[in-house]
Amino acid sequence: MRRAALALGLVALLAWPWASPRYFVFLASLSVVNAIVAIGLNLLSGYTNQLSFGHAGFLAVGAYTAALVTTRWPDTPIVVTLAVAALVTGLVGLGLGVPCLRLEGLYLAMATLAFGFVVVEAIMNLDWLTRGNDGLRVPAARLGPWALQSDTARYYLVVAVGVVMVWAALNLARTRTGRALLAIRESEIAAQASGVHLARYKTLAFAISAVYTGVAGGLFAFVVGFLSPDAFDVFLSVDYVAMIIVGGLGSVPGSIAGAALLTVLNDSLAGFQSYRPLIFGTLLILSLLFMPGGVARAFRFLKGEQG
Amino acid sequence: MRYHQAWVVALGALLAAAPAAAEPGVTDTEILIGGSNSFSGPLAFTGEQITKGGVELYLRVVNDAGGIHGRKVRTLWYDDAYRPQDAVANTKKLVEQDKVFAIIIPQGSPPVVATLDYLEEQKVPLLFPYQSSPVTRGKRWIFQGMTVSDRSSKMMIDYLAGRRKFKKFAALYQDDEYGKSFLTAFEKDLGRHGLKLGAAESVKRGVTDVSAQVAKLQATKPDVTFLVLVPGPAAQALKERQKIGWSDTLMVSTGPLTDERYLALAGEAAEGVEGLSLWPDPATSDRPGVKLYREHMQKYAPRNEPNRYSMAGYFAGMLFAEAAKRAGTNLTRESLIAALEGIKGWESGILPPLTIGPDHETQKQGFWVRVEKGRFKPVTDWLKGE
Repeated sequence: MRRAALALGLVALLAWPWASPRYFVFLASLSVVNAIVAIGLNLLSGYTNQLSFGHAGFLAVGAYTAALVTTRWPDTPIVVTLAVAALVTGLVGLGLGVPCLRLEGLYLAMATLAFGFVVVEAIMNLDWLTRGNDGLRVPAARLGPWALQSDTARYYLVVAVGVVMVWAALNLARTRTGRALLAIRESEIAAQASGVHLARYKTLAFAISAVYTGVAGGLFAFVVGFLSPDAFDVFLSVDYVAMIIVGGLGSVPGSIAGAALLTVLNDSLAGFQSYRPLIFGTLLILSLLFMPGGVARAFRFLKGEQG
Repeated sequence: MRYHQAWVVALGALLAAAPAAAEPGVTDTEILIGGSNSFSGPLAFTGEQITKGGVELYLRVVNDAGGIHGRKVRTLWYDDAYRPQDAVANTKKLVEQDKVFAIIIPQGSPPVVATLDYLEEQKVPLLFPYQSSPVTRGKRWIFQGMTVSDRSSKMMIDYLAGRRKFKKFAALYQDDEYGKSFLTAFEKDLGRHGLKLGAAESVKRGVTDVSAQVAKLQATKPDVTFLVLVPGPAAQALKERQKIGWSDTLMVSTGPLTDERYLALAGEAAEGVEGLSLWPDPATSDRPGVKLYREHMQKYAPRNEPNRYSMAGYFAGMLFAEAAKRAGTNLTRESLIAALEGIKGWESGILPPLTIGPDHETQKQGFWVRVEKGRFKPVTDWLKGE
């Protein structure tokens, strides 16, 4: 039953570009990119209770790294580019994770918020490298002899990477690290009492979360094709937090659902122009009020299980 | 066999019908155009004014008069909040889902540049983007909106160095494409007059404290100091100058800066400042097109007030309508481009007679103004930008 559903889902993912209008292929790519960020953020917030309002900053680091690598060495295979983006962003995550250890709740949120602003400022000021406010055009990604130039080609790239990232996240819970993170989520004191090194695992969670977001950033660069500091404003970070709250904290399928839901919602509200933030905010508050455990909990509830 | 023939006939009919129905966004009764713009975010006011306050204002006049060759023009706007990724998404949606005929007046360099290659590739006309960097040059499907920086520079330098005989120049510029493209152009044009730019200080975008830069420029004693900034920091520079009592220099603002918001922010510190104005004063000019603009606003949007942004959008709507009219009943994207390229000596009543031609620029002239009692007073007639 579970396998059949999984196979069906994969087939649907693969058939999507052929079955849907062209624009939805692009939108689906964007949803998958956001889903990877949401999973990364959820590993941090859902598992270790560290809420981050700075993930747009990580996304920017990953996106600019991938874009600069591809601009400088156009023949770099996409897998290598994404790995470099993941590594650089992961190191930045580690760097932010250490000072954030002493912070909790509101103070942590403020520190991460500041991090997001710092990244945007850095992009503006390093204009010899990033072209600052003028923005950076991203050349097409390359996979061996092919340049991924169409929306469909980019979609398959994003989906392939997305599947790997989801698989890794689902399996993380079975590893020693995953168990430790889950233990921290349930109770920090209990976890520490059972021998989980709190500081080490909380920092590690930051790094893993950053790696996810860095990979997503690399994909983001290729899907959108143009980067500028305006792309990574604080509202984007808030959107990611909204995704995991709507989707369900601590749930991988919930992250995916939340990301897809909010990406599509954000897109369909574009036509409401100046009313967009108002409608978006109202929907968010309503879903918090009536669906506190997010989509993941609501789904389980419908299936007759206890939330 | 008969069955087979029926298929052939059906297929033939389909093929024959295809070219007639081909042009996206154009039906017998309607033309659909649209764009991605800022309706939230830092430039929401400008976005609202150029689209709904401007383009739509003129198109309502056109539609009430029966439309263009019997077709009413409908508009569709999406919000991108100045984010390039949302601009890309919106533009793709407009082209692929809504099938608009053309994209009109999107705002700001990053969102516009993010969609340039895509639109050129899809052969969708991009009309009058509201940004001044010359990146739009040399593209077949793109017609630039604002006066490009190097044209502005030529008008400014020829006037200041040629007619007014100033010798020493300095500049305070925003450290991005907008500022740097002006700086390069100033150096080139000053070179033609055997002069050079004595000093230049940069301001990062978003910074409001410019006192250090102003002090450094004062030390070089220039006759003329250019302000290549946006309203916030520019007003700050004027106030700083007043504070330190630096009066022996002429402050000159560039075209994109010379607007009402800049004046309002600077207050009395703006008295005596000069600059290049790209638009006649929307509230007081008695040019026939500007009067008509105010009448139309009075009739259709009485709660709005005349401003440069809405007038720029109004002009964009006017130019689109003119080109669509010239393209004739068989309106296609190709025929629209040809019509725009063919515009010669066209009188809008707002700007001087316009000739577009192969350079695809729709605004090439400005005139000199001086701030007196909180308003821009014209000092010259239209200056030549070519």
